[in-house]
Amino acid sequence: MLSARKADPAVVSALRDVFPIILAVVPFGMVYGTVAAGEGLTLLQTVGFSASVFAGASQLAALQLVGIGAPVWSVLLAVFALNFRHILYSASVGRHIKHFPKAAKALAFFLLADPTFAAAEARAGRRALSTGYYFAYGLSLYVCWLISSLVGALAGALIEDPAVFGIDFVLPVYFLALVMTFRQRASFWPVASTSAAASIVIYAVIGPPWHVTLGALAGILVAAVMPIENRSVGSPMADEQSAEKAT
Amino acid sequence: MSDIWLIVLLAGILTYLTRIGGHLLIKIVGTLPPRLEAALDAVPAAVLTTIFAPVMVSGDWPERGALVLCGILAFRFPLIGTVAIGAGFVAIARAIL
Repeated sequence: MLSARKADPAVVSALRDVFPIILAVVPFGMVYGTVAAGEGLTLLQTVGFSASVFAGASQLAALQLVGIGAPVWSVLLAVFALNFRHILYSASVGRHIKHFPKAAKALAFFLLADPTFAAAEARAGRRALSTGYYFAYGLSLYVCWLISSLVGALAGALIEDPAVFGIDFVLPVYFLALVMTFRQRASFWPVASTSAAASIVIYAVIGPPWHVTLGALAGILVAAVMPIENRSVGSPMADEQSAEKAT
Repeated sequence: MSDIWLIVLLAGILTYLTRIGGHLLIKIVGTLPPRLEAALDAVPAAVLTTIFAPVMVSGDWPERGALVLCGILAFRFPLIGTVAIGAGFVAIARAIL
């Protein structure tokens, strides 16, 4: 593997894995860019926000709050609450990138978006997670996020109503399909159904964005109290099988 | 500095803190007890589920129908196929209803 540095097979499979995700993310980035331009952000601010945060849902939430004239601190609180889930991601992914050089590790956490997290977890279930795989995946997603934000801002009114094309629905379906690739893990159904039920109730009672953090904690709690021996011995293999089906 | 640039800067810092924070916390705690490990393994399914599940209450019938349909399709179809069918289904259902 190491000798094949020129065409690192890990890079190739990362690019293959990230391609469908880019197809899903680009429209979302364009929607963000369009909304940002509509809120009066300059091109540089629109792309700069994507570059610094790299988390679409929180960027859109921030724009919405800016639009209604909310104070800076409340915008920041919304961004933090919406991105709080990353704490869970980094706790989990940190176990798989222990061998990365220090600077690479710091950069890896910066790139830890939802799809990157899911891909890194799936990859680590099958083999050691290499810097080649991680950064080929993460950086191409990052660059596409910036470009699509820019294109969205430039296109402006071209995507006046994303709902007409179902573009606004790409992300929910995408996350649903992504979750299903983890279904071979032993605790999957109890965890997923608990999180689904909890997030729906919290969404209805407290409202967004707390349904994400609290709903996830409910599912994680279920996994923590389930009998340990129940955890699938062959979960990496199971992940591989479902991942193969997914490609 | 305008408010927008202040938000761009501070939101970026806050988000980075969330992205490295869990790792730093684990580093302080040290080795992972088995139950914590089991909990971490459940993180992907738990978090990602909460992002789409509330569509069942926030969405209308086209969105609910598409979500159920895609939940079934995901057993058979590759990820991108499920996404395309789901988005297409919603677009058509919205146009009809």
